[in-house]
Amino acid sequence: MADDDTLRTVYELVQLMSFLNETRRAILLALSHVYPRSVSGVQLSRLIGYSGKSRSLYRGVLTHMKEDGMILIDELTPRLHAIRINNEHPLLSMLVELCREYGKGTSKIYAKALEE
Amino acid sequence: MDCLLKHARGLYINMQRITIASLMIIFMVVFYSLYSVGIYGLGATPPEWFPVAWMEFFDAVVSLNTVAFFLAFSLIVFAYGLWSWAFFPSPAVSYTQAALQGLFGQNVRIEQSIGKRFRVFLESGTHIDVRCRVKEASSGDWFVYRFTSCPLTGNSLHSVAMRHGMSSKKGRFTTTIGHDELHHRGLLMAKAMASIAPDS
Repeated sequence: MADDDTLRTVYELVQLMSFLNETRRAILLALSHVYPRSVSGVQLSRLIGYSGKSRSLYRGVLTHMKEDGMILIDELTPRLHAIRINNEHPLLSMLVELCREYGKGTSKIYAKALEE
Repeated sequence: MDCLLKHARGLYINMQRITIASLMIIFMVVFYSLYSVGIYGLGATPPEWFPVAWMEFFDAVVSLNTVAFFLAFSLIVFAYGLWSWAFFPSPAVSYTQAALQGLFGQNVRIEQSIGKRFRVFLESGTHIDVRCRVKEASSGDWFVYRFTSCPLTGNSLHSVAMRHGMSSKKGRFTTTIGHDELHHRGLLMAKAMASIAPDS
């Protein structure tokens, strides 16, 4: 039986993930599976099957998620950004750990999609 | 998108067209009436290199009429700014209030102030400010909400905020959310505020 703190974190993680909307959830799942890699905006919008422009993803959802400390965005050039999950986040670090432990198959699919 | 919000979006686009069209008509009327009453010069003399044939043109541009025209134009721009700040289609108001009441109960007190601001008074004496942006200019997303809690005290604000998917700024929890998360993220906000309340 896992200890109380871990279970509590898992509960809070499940709650947060289910309360986020579809786009945010897809972003977090994709980023935590490809961690520690970072992806560009275009790659991310392809990974999550986003139909709109990746620019509007940047300026809307991604900016808001960055403000909430869920993801980190490094500006490599004004047009190229490296997006990765914030592994310092108390709940998302647990998500990353879970994905590394049990999500190897899913990670492979994401990695293959990134190569193409 | 919820059908109330779809309705609100249609209404907003229509109202925006009507507003812009009427402001353009006002603009043309102002333009015509300001320059048809006769030119009141400012007493400036044109520089020497100025072609003589364009003298009349210079007199018309450097005149009190132009000053009045710019004043009127900035008033029109200001009127549009005021409209877009204050106008919030009523279906969107009902959507917001229904979502918040569904979450906090029918008897919760929700105050709407001018513009798109709501304040939800919780039972514990705290409140949450909810602000809506009809269309976010940068991303083109419709109905983006922003939650801000009342000022809170406590030394674990940052970590509590992070654990509820929010950030803390100047002792307040803040987060920006989409319209489809209004209910759930509101719940997280209330839960986070309740977990901080005992030490304050």
